[in-house]
Amino acid sequence: MNLADVINGHDADQVALIAGDDVVTYGVLRGRVAAMQADLNGRGVGVDTTVALVTGNDAAFVVASLAVLGLGGVVMPLNPGSPTSELARKLNVAEPLLALVGHAGRLHLGDPAVGTPTVDLIEMDSNAASAQAAADGPTDVLIVDRDPDAPAFYMATSGVSGAAKVAVLSHHNLAWVHEALGQVDPPLTADDVVLGSLPFTHIFGLNVVLLATLNAGGTIVMQERFDADESLRLVQRRGVTTLTGAPPMWKRWLEADVPDDSLASVNWAASGAASLPLELFEAVRERFGIEVVQGYGLTETSPIVTLGRGAPVRPTSVGKVLPGVEVALVDESGTPVDFGDEGEIVVRSPGVFSGYLDDQDTTEAVLSDDGWLWTGDVGIFDEDGYLYLVDRIKDIVIVSGFNVYPAEVENVLIQHPDVSGVIVTGTADETTGETVVAHVAGTATQQQLEALAAEHLSRYKRPTQYLFLDELPIAANGKPIRRALR
Amino acid sequence: MGGSASFSFELAPELPGADRFSKYLTAAFRTMATKLWDFTVEGRENIPLEGPGIITPNHLSFCDSVFVPSALPRRVWAIGKGEYMDSWKTKHIFPAMGMIPVDRTGGDAAKAALDTAAKVLDQGHLFMIYPEGTRSRSGDLHKGRTGAARLAIRCNAPIIPTGHVGTVEVQPPDSVVMKPRKAVTVRFGAPMWAHEFGDPEDPRTLRRFTDAVMFEIAELSGQKYVDTYAGKKTETPDEPTPAPEQTSVTPRRPSVVGAHGGVGTRPTRPSMRASASSDDDETTVGVPRGRKVPATAGNAASDS
Repeated sequence: MNLADVINGHDADQVALIAGDDVVTYGVLRGRVAAMQADLNGRGVGVDTTVALVTGNDAAFVVASLAVLGLGGVVMPLNPGSPTSELARKLNVAEPLLALVGHAGRLHLGDPAVGTPTVDLIEMDSNAASAQAAADGPTDVLIVDRDPDAPAFYMATSGVSGAAKVAVLSHHNLAWVHEALGQVDPPLTADDVVLGSLPFTHIFGLNVVLLATLNAGGTIVMQERFDADESLRLVQRRGVTTLTGAPPMWKRWLEADVPDDSLASVNWAASGAASLPLELFEAVRERFGIEVVQGYGLTETSPIVTLGRGAPVRPTSVGKVLPGVEVALVDESGTPVDFGDEGEIVVRSPGVFSGYLDDQDTTEAVLSDDGWLWTGDVGIFDEDGYLYLVDRIKDIVIVSGFNVYPAEVENVLIQHPDVSGVIVTGTADETTGETVVAHVAGTATQQQLEALAAEHLSRYKRPTQYLFLDELPIAANGKPIRRALR
Repeated sequence: MGGSASFSFELAPELPGADRFSKYLTAAFRTMATKLWDFTVEGRENIPLEGPGIITPNHLSFCDSVFVPSALPRRVWAIGKGEYMDSWKTKHIFPAMGMIPVDRTGGDAAKAALDTAAKVLDQGHLFMIYPEGTRSRSGDLHKGRTGAARLAIRCNAPIIPTGHVGTVEVQPPDSVVMKPRKAVTVRFGAPMWAHEFGDPEDPRTLRRFTDAVMFEIAELSGQKYVDTYAGKKTETPDEPTPAPEQTSVTPRRPSVVGAHGGVGTRPTRPSMRASASSDDDETTVGVPRGRKVPATAGNAASDS
């Protein structure tokens, strides 16, 4: 098998990509991929060659990744906005042959500090486009047959500091998700038009937005840089049916200066990357008349574990377990907890990765011999099998024997109008073992926050220390980086 | 204030113990509690004088079921084993004390117990349930089952956290007699309402509410809290696991969806900090470089 096959089997005239005024049909896309394969082959790219892609959500990303996969190589997508040192650190783990640098990453082009030879992807893509246009008739994409377990993508998963981890995802890992998405109701089809606003360098944007849509023969409307008003105008103009975003994007869509019926064509709206606040869900429903569902997944699961699709929406839940996925909530010893109790989420599915590149210790720490992935996330099921996320297991603060989940405390304090950000951690305490510490950005006073905590939190959950900071460490996806403050 | 303070014998014709015999027996127990023991009740004003309420005491001794009801200003009902009705020794006394027998042999005993409890509350009475599910052998306060919280949501009733001290000295485990003249204190905390703990449809609310109740019980009883269920093997490794003596109102089944077979063994975790989420960096890159496939069996095929 080969994941690059996702572009085959669709009508040549069917539109695959829309990037600005550039409308690319499946026929043209196949021609461009084939032309780029000839170029890449000349640069030594073949079976098992790793190629890094440093570009935004553009046609070049799609063409280059499919070209590399088809040749039997492995693609390592990297965030083009990363500082050079971070890029170099991640590249160093996988040691790719080349780094193809596109428009959004052009600052890195030719920079020796990247540590990997860089190639101008803009030029390669434009050459491929010209070659396709000049070609007489359709061209076949070269598709090397790969073992289903052969690596297709190397996904870097590290945050802002520390050692980089690279998750290895196989052709089968990713392709299985497309199959599973075809089984939920409504399935993704060739009639779907999907807004490609989540980064393709992230597993959700890559596999659920980009590759699953191509596999179904649908159309992806791309936006290289996120612009809330512009993207909603695109939704209306292109008749987008599937809209996905992270919570900060949904917040900006909610505030966008567009008519309230701008999302009339959308039949499935989803939020990922971080928990979607209930108030935001309600406000979006109120304004646009659509219900934004959540899902749960990790890079290591390709990524879908649960999805709010095919069942009535429960706004604070991350949905139900996708068919073909096994999920158990377990205690420290690995025994499943009682239904209705919290436990660490462990997952087994055809999407579960085979490990971290060159990192057996970390792999063995999260993956059992029989294929269960220990996610480090704490969850709870309701009676009907909807999953709800609680927090990260290692972030739990234990006060007098009671579990305090920092997210719950953060969700209370952030409600104060003069608080712009909160990160809650624990610190050692002589009498209670640990105690709750709130790191706050904003102008609210300690007394105000204490009053808010007293109103909404049990006594043991209330912070005993408030630390006021100018700025909090927040990752690119909007998640607070608690470990930086521990 | 002792147990002999004002008491109302509520008429509840549909529930056990509505007869004259029960009324006299209840009074006798209450008098006995104050005469034979140094009995103190605190926070009695926290018990609503009318309407439903769920009394949730810690559970250390068989005689908790005597002292806690005797401390209340109203009658209280609880669920007990159906087998008590088979013995002449208990079949009159226990219902008189407010026990509602529920057959535990059926397939859906938890549902039957929950429905029975809901009936008591829906009629505006007090209902008592031990949130730990069984007696704590270690003396610590154990993790609470979510049944009381479920009932509170279903019946829109407050939970009154209850902590007591001294009952183990009166009747230690496995003792059949209650030793007189010991000191027993029962304390009632302020009523707690489910809606203050979040969306009742969200399963996290049940746990949040239950933990908050357990925290208040710990404060009232002075016990140390441990986040494991009572009766689990971890509690007292030397003793056999005691069977729960209260019919649970919480359905118990493993939290597994879509799985066929067990979860298997926990992976080796060289560092407890290591985990799979992408926001985690606290890992080491410890394996020698060179091979560009992960060092796991599943990927060996890609070398071809």
